[in-house]
Amino acid sequence: MKFENTGLYYIDYPARIKAVQAEMAKQNIDVYLGSRLRTTSWCTDAFFPWRSFIVIPSEGMPTAFTFVIDAARALDDSWLDEDHVMGFAPMGGQDQITQISDMINELLPNGGRVGVEAGMSNYLPEGYLTYFEYNAFKEAMPECEFVNAHEIIDRLQMIKDIGTINRFREASRIVDVGHEAVLAAIKNGGWKGMTETVVAGIAALAMRKAGSVWEWSFTGGNEIACGYRTGLAGGACTPPTGKEIVAGEPLMVDIHALYGLACGDHTHNYLIGPATERQLWHAKNFVDIVDLTLKTYRAGISPSSLAEEMMAFAEERGFADFMVPGFEHGIGMLGDEWRIGRHDGPFPYWTDPDHCYQENEVLICAMQYACPEEDIGFRYENPILIKKDCCEYMSKFPLAVEVID
Amino acid sequence: MVKYLSEEWRAEVEKRLREQLDPEKMNKITSSMNSRYLNCPDGGKKHFFVGFSNGNVDKVLAGDGDGPTAEFCISGDYETFAKISRAELGSQKALMGGMLKLKGNMVKALKLASLSDRINKIIATIETEF
Repeated sequence: MKFENTGLYYIDYPARIKAVQAEMAKQNIDVYLGSRLRTTSWCTDAFFPWRSFIVIPSEGMPTAFTFVIDAARALDDSWLDEDHVMGFAPMGGQDQITQISDMINELLPNGGRVGVEAGMSNYLPEGYLTYFEYNAFKEAMPECEFVNAHEIIDRLQMIKDIGTINRFREASRIVDVGHEAVLAAIKNGGWKGMTETVVAGIAALAMRKAGSVWEWSFTGGNEIACGYRTGLAGGACTPPTGKEIVAGEPLMVDIHALYGLACGDHTHNYLIGPATERQLWHAKNFVDIVDLTLKTYRAGISPSSLAEEMMAFAEERGFADFMVPGFEHGIGMLGDEWRIGRHDGPFPYWTDPDHCYQENEVLICAMQYACPEEDIGFRYENPILIKKDCCEYMSKFPLAVEVID
Repeated sequence: MVKYLSEEWRAEVEKRLREQLDPEKMNKITSSMNSRYLNCPDGGKKHFFVGFSNGNVDKVLAGDGDGPTAEFCISGDYETFAKISRAELGSQKALMGGMLKLKGNMVKALKLASLSDRINKIIATIETEF
């Protein structure tokens, strides 16, 4: 079913394609062959969970290619018409290499420059072209020259349009509904007998009722941790387990909603009472640094300048040892996760620490506090919209570490 | 007995398809399929084209060369097609094994797979000399 791409949430997809084509023209690229999940999401308004490709010619409509079992569904969800969503299958002439190379060879009978997406990523579902695919396409299109061109999409995706921003706002509102449901379920002793997976399910049901499609994160859907698992060193990834919630331990609730391919992502933290003075000290440290971080984000700063400032604050307060010295990760339409900005930092395909934030970038303010020796830790995540002098944090669930009786 | 892909064979195919396929049974489709026969016994290429309009048989062509453009094009060796027509080889197996190459929108083709089988079954009833 198509997302109702109207009103507040309207995204001008044909204009996006034209913007890609304009960049292709500047770089003398005749056809763009995308293979990343972020590219298919951003170009089609549909989720392509199977290996998929998109061919963008120099003019006109793009064509998406996916595994035939899901092509009709992807077509139904996408703004593209039935002549521009193709299914591939292991049949003569119908495999992905043949279908795509046939199309490109027809578009470029005398050869030309084909932009591809090659690189590496921390994010498993990223979808860069594989070694095999690259060689197979080269063999099937001997007249074509292949150039790495993902930079075109990366640059265009970075600054968010108002429709995308509003979809993020709605995904964040839905996440807040999930947090309210979890709080209602665990308070007044409701947590007793619950496991991390049950908490994840409570949030999932509430968010789906409120309009979320699924818990999009590849890190296990809703990430829930309790007890020692909250304090795993550097541990910013906690797929839920069957671990039971126990009195006197922390509980970390990191939940994810998807709305119009925009990713809601907010973490809230609890202490299951009774809480010790030491636990409350850790909690106050965390809330204070999150509060300061949110007040510091604005256009013109960089990940490294922010980290320096925040780590200085943590050092002054005596909890620097517990802070993971990173304060954000990238976010965009489904599949666009992990690194901030482009791929132009000192380490290829990692966030550039000196990336200068610009207005209308959206990122996840992501902070991890971990004290493995004391089996305690906290996480904060919230999509933020960078503005000229501040940031808008999209999830409005009040910042706190609440003690639950 | 008519010779495979001859004018007589084509006329018999058209006659039987018109007689035995009603538009309802053909889901009132409008589409076309061209089979391109490579490596024919005479060394050349041949084609067999069937077009439907609202489920009615619209055009049946057979002859030398590539034939007209169609929504779906299947190409393969003459002998492969002959084996399918003699019911010695399934068309799906031929496609899955890469002996035939299909060009066209696979999603649409899936919807037409059973209709294609109906056509092949009718054609297989014609006494043919290969």
